[in-house]
Amino acid sequence: MAAADSLPAPGRAPDAPASGRAPASGHPPAKRALRARRRSRIGMIFLIMTAIAVVMLYPFWYILNNAFRTQTQFEQQHGHSALSWSQLFSELPVGRELLNSTLICLASILLILAVSTTAGFAFAKLRYRGSGIVFLAVVAALMVPLQSIIIPEYVNLGKLGLINTYLGAILVYVALGTPFATFLMATYYRGISDDLIEAAVMDGLGYERTFLRIALPLSWPAIATVTVLQFIQIWDDLLVGLLFLQNPQQRTITVGLAALSAGRTSSIPVLMAGSFISAVPAIVVYLIFQRYLVRGLTLGMGK
Amino acid sequence: MRHWKVLAATAAAALLATACGSGGGSSGSTTGPVTLTIWENYGTEQNATALKNLAKAFEKLHKNVTVNVVSQPADNYFALLQAAAVSKTGPDLAVMWTGLFTLQYKEFLTNLKGKIPAADLARVNPNALKWTSDSFDAANGPYVIPLENQFYIGFYNKAAFAKAGVASVPTDWTQLFAACKKLKAAGYTPLTYGNGGQPLGAEFYPWYDLSYMMIGAHPVTSWQQLYSGQIPWTSAANEAQLATWSKLKSNGCTNSDVLTKTNNLGDFETGKAAMMVDGTWDTQKFTSALGSKVAAFVPPFSNSPIKGVVDFAGDGLSMTNYTQHSAQALQFLEFMTTSQAATIINAAGLIPAINGTPTSNPVNQQMLNFVSQDHLTVYPMLDNVVQPNVVNTGSKVLPSVLNGSISPKSALSSMQTTFGQLPATQRGTSYP
Amino acid sequence: MSVSEATPALARGTSPGQRTRPRRSRLARRRRRAGILLSLPAVIVVVALLGIPIGQAVYYSMTNWNGLTAQWIGPSTYSTALSDPIFWRVLENNGLLLLSIPFAIGIPLAIAALLNEHVRGWRFFRSVYFLPTAVSWVVIGMVAVQFFALNGLMNKFLGAVGLGSFQTDMLAGQRSALIALAITFIWSMLGTNTIIFLTGMATLDPTLLEAARVDGLHRRQIFFRVTLPLLKRFVQFSFVITVISAFSALFSLIFVMTNGGPGFGTTTLEFFVYQSAFSLGQFGTGALYGIILFVIMIVVGLVQLRLIRSEDGEGW
Repeated sequence: MAAADSLPAPGRAPDAPASGRAPASGHPPAKRALRARRRSRIGMIFLIMTAIAVVMLYPFWYILNNAFRTQTQFEQQHGHSALSWSQLFSELPVGRELLNSTLICLASILLILAVSTTAGFAFAKLRYRGSGIVFLAVVAALMVPLQSIIIPEYVNLGKLGLINTYLGAILVYVALGTPFATFLMATYYRGISDDLIEAAVMDGLGYERTFLRIALPLSWPAIATVTVLQFIQIWDDLLVGLLFLQNPQQRTITVGLAALSAGRTSSIPVLMAGSFISAVPAIVVYLIFQRYLVRGLTLGMGK
Repeated sequence: MRHWKVLAATAAAALLATACGSGGGSSGSTTGPVTLTIWENYGTEQNATALKNLAKAFEKLHKNVTVNVVSQPADNYFALLQAAAVSKTGPDLAVMWTGLFTLQYKEFLTNLKGKIPAADLARVNPNALKWTSDSFDAANGPYVIPLENQFYIGFYNKAAFAKAGVASVPTDWTQLFAACKKLKAAGYTPLTYGNGGQPLGAEFYPWYDLSYMMIGAHPVTSWQQLYSGQIPWTSAANEAQLATWSKLKSNGCTNSDVLTKTNNLGDFETGKAAMMVDGTWDTQKFTSALGSKVAAFVPPFSNSPIKGVVDFAGDGLSMTNYTQHSAQALQFLEFMTTSQAATIINAAGLIPAINGTPTSNPVNQQMLNFVSQDHLTVYPMLDNVVQPNVVNTGSKVLPSVLNGSISPKSALSSMQTTFGQLPATQRGTSYP
Repeated sequence: MSVSEATPALARGTSPGQRTRPRRSRLARRRRRAGILLSLPAVIVVVALLGIPIGQAVYYSMTNWNGLTAQWIGPSTYSTALSDPIFWRVLENNGLLLLSIPFAIGIPLAIAALLNEHVRGWRFFRSVYFLPTAVSWVVIGMVAVQFFALNGLMNKFLGAVGLGSFQTDMLAGQRSALIALAITFIWSMLGTNTIIFLTGMATLDPTLLEAARVDGLHRRQIFFRVTLPLLKRFVQFSFVITVISAFSALFSLIFVMTNGGPGFGTTTLEFFVYQSAFSLGQFGTGALYGIILFVIMIVVGLVQLRLIRSEDGEGW
């Protein structure tokens, strides 16, 4: 499905026929000239791509460079020290908040997967009357912006006593992630042949068991995609965490960082150090699973 | 497929962990060890230090109580407090601003009348207590025990003034602009603005300045008319004051990045800037950094020599009405009225609101002398006696007036529009 | 319900000649039951945690709810809200933000075209360009604040290339802060849109491009007259994602960068919802604006769906 990797590079092909085809370029000097032009063109492209890479990567360099300064060193842009890191750890319960982030992410993702794989399979393979509309409704819930529901959601979960608990935040994340995850899984499951399913059922497996034993193992790539997308989304979320987890002891690292910056601690390097710590896990997950991210996006475009 | 069992086990474990790790909230038991949670929005002000030390002292006096002071982001503090009140998951005690702020949020605050012994309340400066009660009448019972007595005030660097040849402290607009010119020529930033200090928003908090502009424009008895609308925000006097104020930046009296500068405090403390408009929550910072070089002055935002000063108990602690630990919370509030507490507050560089307690910081004493010796009229803080919606709009538009990107007229008409949208009950001729 | 339906079938169809039909209908029933069972959790989640709150939001939008008490006012709340000049100012901000969409799509198109040349190391560059997507808006916002500061990198760069007169404090002006927000937004959407277009380009039939080259078209002509039209579906998809992000994903960025200011300069509708509700305690008004935001999103989605449908004549 990730065609970008597997297809021959269409961009490169035109060059070769051009130099081989045109009768006039049969002369060696012309061929050399063309090759030189091609090389300079490749060089130009490489240069531009590097320039863009610098633009994209600059913030990371900025964060890391300034995290290792004190406030005075930051203002003068000169000198380095590790002081801001110890300041960060004293102002924020970093370890605790990282733990909170991790637990909440994992639990939310597990729930999202549980709900979306089953539903995705059902909508893809187990059509029943009205399932098309139900599917449309579930996916249309994608359009619901967080801001529109956050207030009633907050009050509802408050009445259930779930504010300042992991479960409250998890439920909101699950609600927000289910539509897209279901859509992704359904699209993926559509790609599995019906015969495979039917054969398993004929063998007496039953649809539910078929899902568990046959369909689910086949869908690891899509599961990986959902995991990565949701991990990034939940790890980096601010509003839900800010409202539903009001104490630093339950906060996620992203919310802790925002609270720190809103408190206008006068030390920018401390904020930079915090930024680095909060960004690293999501980046690591991305780097490990980037193939699936690409795949997930292309799946979403409905091949 | 064996793996699904592992997956299910991990899922169950994770969910179990979340159910157990539900953290925070109230423990409910009142006999065993109790944890009191206090929310504050002090950022890096001296008030944070004072509160922390009060908590520690209280813990020593009550061995079974742990006091957990939680610092919430100041520019969303009241939003979070409001949300927490809805779900009743908020703190036992919360920092609360006095005046109309208290009345706005009193729905989830406890009226302390009868809950705190009258003898304790009598120790508190009565002018302070009245601003925390309904209709601003102390007989109705306070909602807030003030932490300290505050001034919105100007600070200046005496050495800078001397070096630039500013002979006397300016007392009106003309003298201020003249002093600015001399200071600028001597290489100082005359008056520094930025969002350091009270961390209340992305830009500086404009209500210290507006208070003094309104002091220059209206006598203290007329301030109520700003609340009722008899003096509209768009009045000519107000517009003129704002116009002169915005000239501060265009005449080079201030730094150029008034909206985005983050270390204006640092500039003043290192002597790069000569003047700053701030409050008593930072006095100790300045005296620690500048020693005897720093002194207080009344921001002279007036055409004639300025005769008023903002002296007001702007904040304190209140008890939420959904707290599970009211006994201990009330004990903490009572503790705040003791002389031991007053000593702690004074040591943090603040002016205690308890009667008869001395002030050790000389610059704070200077401010008190403005009232007791120079007989300047005492004004409240303007944002505490103006409707919160109008304060909100003002906080958004006024900094841009100084920056020169919004005209005084349009800023004031924004505030007037907000005023017009208020229901009649909120703009009566007496305070609610 | 399905069990009781199944039993009569079982009781009925046992003779060998009729085995296939009842068996198939039994299978169909089991499939339907399994379908309902398996899709139920998702439906419950969506209904309970998304559907019901929307309904509540509609109700509360017509009250003066402050989170604790609610008093019914009726649909006039909508006319009051729509006549608030600040609301139109906020919508104006959203509209202005839309002006950045062409850049948020055009630049990635160019970058994708470059990557598509498959110059050596292009996969590495692709990873790098997508990296900012993994980073939270909070972090991006904090770096952006430093970037646009008076003594930040942007102004230093302008000074270095001799454009010193353009140096400005972008976050201090209402319009310029919105521009700074837009620039940051475009920067972080680059990765996502580049990947979308790159994938699209990889699905193109190389023979089409071959044919165009044989016909003597220049590279640039090929790009605009052949490649681009073939990428239409991907451009539409990216357009939808970008607009949705602009309208509903920027909360954290605004929160950290400008808190909606200066003035109302960077207060978009989604931020306004939060501010109305939580800063002023007007939960009813906040719910109202939330509903308006929702309606706008639906309209955008429907328009897009109509466009895509009319092109392909098929669903997804």
